[in-house]
Amino acid sequence: MTPLIEARALAARYGRTPALAGLDAVFAAGEVVAILGENGSGKSTLLKLLARILPPAGGELLLEGRPLGGLPRRETARRIAYLPQTVDLVFPIRSLDLVLQGRAPHNSGFAAEGPDDRRRALDAMRACDVADLAERDASALSGGERRRVFLARALAQEAEVWLLDEPTSGLDPRHRLEFLALLRRAHAERRTTVLLVTHEIDAAANLADRVLLLCEGRALAAGPPRETLTAENVRRAFGVEADVSTDPAGRLRVEPRSPSHA
Amino acid sequence: MRPAKPPVRIFLIGVVLLVLALLLGLSVGGVSVSPADLWRGTGEAGETARLIASLRIPRVLLAAVVGGALALAGAAMQALLRNPLADPFLLGTSGGAAAGAALAALAGASPLLSPGAAFAGAAASSLAVVLLSRRGGRVDLNRLLLAGLIANAFFSAVLLGVFSVASTEAARTMLFWMMGSLADATPAKVGALVPYAVLGALPILASAGRLNLFAVGEESAAALGVDTERSKRLVFLAASLLTGAAVAFAGVIGFVGLLVPHAVRAVVGNDQRALLPLSAVSGAALLVAADALSRAAFAPAELPIGAVTAALGAPLFGWLLLRNP
Repeated sequence: MTPLIEARALAARYGRTPALAGLDAVFAAGEVVAILGENGSGKSTLLKLLARILPPAGGELLLEGRPLGGLPRRETARRIAYLPQTVDLVFPIRSLDLVLQGRAPHNSGFAAEGPDDRRRALDAMRACDVADLAERDASALSGGERRRVFLARALAQEAEVWLLDEPTSGLDPRHRLEFLALLRRAHAERRTTVLLVTHEIDAAANLADRVLLLCEGRALAAGPPRETLTAENVRRAFGVEADVSTDPAGRLRVEPRSPSHA
Repeated sequence: MRPAKPPVRIFLIGVVLLVLALLLGLSVGGVSVSPADLWRGTGEAGETARLIASLRIPRVLLAAVVGGALALAGAAMQALLRNPLADPFLLGTSGGAAAGAALAALAGASPLLSPGAAFAGAAASSLAVVLLSRRGGRVDLNRLLLAGLIANAFFSAVLLGVFSVASTEAARTMLFWMMGSLADATPAKVGALVPYAVLGALPILASAGRLNLFAVGEESAAALGVDTERSKRLVFLAASLLTGAAVAFAGVIGFVGLLVPHAVRAVVGNDQRALLPLSAVSGAALLVAADALSRAAFAPAELPIGAVTAALGAPLFGWLLLRNP
């Protein structure tokens, strides 16, 4: 069976700085994959290539066996939604208008005005618990509220793939848990494929079907969390010794210790 | 927050303001005529009014098209760069156009060639700024602003150099490019300007939906299916064309491209589908009214139009800054 997304010897660079150096990875439809690795290991870059923000510098990136770069941009935007890591809003923008942006790839001229678009946008906002913020200025919302508004935009986009770049970084514990619960619920309802870039190893291990460990722009290991997040792999990926255990509730726990100087 | 639908009523108010500005522009000057006489057009007073107004028509129309072009170019650059302070002057496009025209005048080229030279200067400046701001095959928006600064410094050096070596007669012409003026308007000039203005305006207005997606950042726009490199090139070149056309026919007139989109945004919000067309109409109305003021304030003497727009623009800009921190 053809995987939904496949990267073959994928390379990318920012100017002359390499960010991906021959990445091989496969993602199946409907699975949740946590992408873990050190800063600069290429996690965010992989998402940007999939979102077509950055063009590949080499290798192949395939969507259902076809090169992603050969497909019309609007078509891939209808199928792949991207939740950016940080967003600074310079001008005020109504939250509902921000969510309506998710409808833009579905309409000619990138318009997002029809009553149907509006209904879908409001549905998405209700699902993300931000319907009451619809008329508010998104640039004046708190970090947690804004993340949820952006997740609503991804929902309104009705894409089958979600690319989430550190969606819970900078959130307090309650908003973090709420966001993850929301993500779980939305995934359960829509069976989307979720690629989640994060530094929260424990949360990722217990949310994801599979883990992809990146190191220096290449795949170090990939597979079910328990098999992939071994002490050995964690040391190679992050350069830290870690205690890997299972807590009484059956959750995988990865606790880093002091840095290794091997 | 503002309604998302393009506000037709506000656009109509803009058109009414433009018509009022045009009537004002036709009425005031060295000899004032009453709009009532102008409207009737019969009797001795009416015929005189119509005659004087007909002499002013090219100037008023030139002001309208130049003002609309500058405001639209500014609004488009602001949307593209996500920077409320961005405008064609900041990016060195106006400076390039003025330097091109001044160099042609210094070389003794016929005044007929100065529009061509201004376009060449604007295009050269655009190209240089785009090349300077490219990084890894992409136009980087932060570098674009810095490249604009470099271009401005360079072209103002060229202008000052040309000005200092030019003959007294040529220096007077050069002052026109530096200060901006609508005094030399003719029907032929207006006719020559309009096609360029339309050619520059259409791609920008057609890109309004895409520019809305730039509001959340270039990466976000790309992820929603916009070919951002193509959009940036198209809008940047169209804004350069508008600016080059305006400078070629009226010299460098500041503040219109910066101020008008600000004021319009305060009224209709940041939806480009409303902001862009309304900026064009409001820019036209503003420059026509400013030109009328420049002729009426110390009649029969005329104030430089650039001084009027700056004197109107700077305090209003300060007020807007205070109001929208």
